[in-house]
Amino acid sequence: MTGGLTIDRIDVSYGPRSALRGVSLEVAEREIVALIGSNGAGKTTTLRAIMGLTPPDRGTIRFEGTDITRLAPPAVVKLGITLSPEGRRVFPQMSVEENLQLGAYLKTDTVEIAHTMKRVYAYFPRLLERRGQMAGSLSGGEQQMLAIGRALMAKPRLLLLDEPSLGLAPIRVQEIGQIIREINAEEGISIVLVEQNANMALRLCQRAYVIESGAIALSGTGAELAASEHVRRAYLGG
Amino acid sequence: MDILALLPQAGLNGLVIGAMYALMAIGFSLVFGTMRIVNFAHGEFYMIGSFVAFFTYAQWEVPFALTILIAIAVVGVAGAAIEWVVVRPLRTDELSSMIATLGVSVVLQNGALMFFGASPRPMPDVVSGLVHLGPAIFSASRIFVIVAATVVIGAFWLFMQKSRTGRAMRAVAQDQEAALLQGVDVERIFPFAFAIGVVLAAVAGVLMAPVFSVSPFVGATPMLKAFIVVILGGLGSIPGAVLGGLLIGMIESFGATFLGGVTADMLQLGVVIAILLVRPAGLMGRKEA
Ligand SMILES: Nc1ncnc2c1ncn2[C@@H]1O[C@H](COP(=O)(O)OP(=O)(O)O)[C@@H](O)[C@H]1O
Ligand SMILES: [Mg+2]
Repeated sequence: MTGGLTIDRIDVSYGPRSALRGVSLEVAEREIVALIGSNGAGKTTTLRAIMGLTPPDRGTIRFEGTDITRLAPPAVVKLGITLSPEGRRVFPQMSVEENLQLGAYLKTDTVEIAHTMKRVYAYFPRLLERRGQMAGSLSGGEQQMLAIGRALMAKPRLLLLDEPSLGLAPIRVQEIGQIIREINAEEGISIVLVEQNANMALRLCQRAYVIESGAIALSGTGAELAASEHVRRAYLGG
Repeated sequence: MDILALLPQAGLNGLVIGAMYALMAIGFSLVFGTMRIVNFAHGEFYMIGSFVAFFTYAQWEVPFALTILIAIAVVGVAGAAIEWVVVRPLRTDELSSMIATLGVSVVLQNGALMFFGASPRPMPDVVSGLVHLGPAIFSASRIFVIVAATVVIGAFWLFMQKSRTGRAMRAVAQDQEAALLQGVDVERIFPFAFAIGVVLAAVAGVLMAPVFSVSPFVGATPMLKAFIVVILGGLGSIPGAVLGGLLIGMIESFGATFLGGVTADMLQLGVVIAILLVRPAGLMGRKEA
């Protein structure tokens, strides 16, 4: 596979503590891939490894044919991968618009930046209404929109979303899910969707992986996994 | 002389000292905010600024505007180099990096002592003459200090608010990892932030050189006061540093005029403690996450 992302048997640890063991995962161009698992399973660590925040001890990560295993985050962003991190991590003492501008930090073409910002505001009209407001004063749902919008500003070809539904009311979860689908379809961006909310993730994705204690336990199409006995018992509450 | 005639002079002196404290505090705060490093050598860059002013302006008689530019260049390059060589290798450990800046302070102070000697050198004013404002008469050189400091603080404010690099520095101060994820090369921001921080101290030193005299030890008091101002104004807040600097400067000036220096110092600390009791995060500070 030349396009997309290929993770090949990576091990990741935090100091002496092992977090991922032999994780392999593929994302094809324009695909939505879900990564589900319970708290502490290693979802965030997988995304951190891709971004270069927590590089693997072993194994390789390739994106569009380039080895990105040891690249620092700015270089990964430059190649076309961005992350909307767990807990949103918006810059609280900056306005919504400044947060978006930071998302385009590596872009120099101001016309292009303005155009991208317009598209982000079209996906999230709430952000347009609040563009001058400090990000720290936004509601949780609005901060989530801002984190996703900021990640779109670099015009990525692969977007990593870490628990975008966390802490949101059910109706907001629906909304965000719908927007994720639109972004994937209209921008042609591949998406890795990390979720504890397996319900939403399995409905949105084409393929999914289940991660348990730092290793991939299952994989398949969203429909296959949703039908699997194990997944239903462990992640869908049925 | 009656009290009414002293008031405007005390106010003007308060503004001069306050502007200097604000400059010092902003630079100190920038370094702490972005790098989480307490720069104990901050006052030494003020001292270097004073010496640059003394040699270039008083000795070699270059124009004062050029003196400021030379100080900015010299201290900016020195600051970036010190960050690179001394602070960077120790940055992962807060205590080591603080001890490192303490070491830099000792080296710079003793270096100045060795080369320039301990005796204070007086420096002539940059502008002379008097300015009449209504019934009050002010020395033009004091007004010049206030105007110059205001221009520098304003330029710095604009840089932080409007420029791409300024925005990146604020992002690093608020969430270093999130900044990295936007593509900000944090390792490149650090020497830059350190350099700008100490350049602000150097500018304070240049502007104040004619007001106080120049010696290897002139940095100590501004450093101490900057520390107090930063805590008073709120860590990392530029408006807080300006407000805190002016408040401390005014108390110092009015206190010294009407109560004497020792009482003024006590009054100053009393006010700081009272304000921190009411607002623990400082005048404009936000709670640390
Ligand atoms: N900064 C860290 N330091 C040490 N251990 C960590 C750190 N972050 C995560 N871990 C550990 O790594 C494992 C995987 O965590 P994580 O990837 O955050 O899981 P998830 O995102 O699936 O909830 C957990 O056992 C967690 O305790
Ligand atoms: Mg997580």
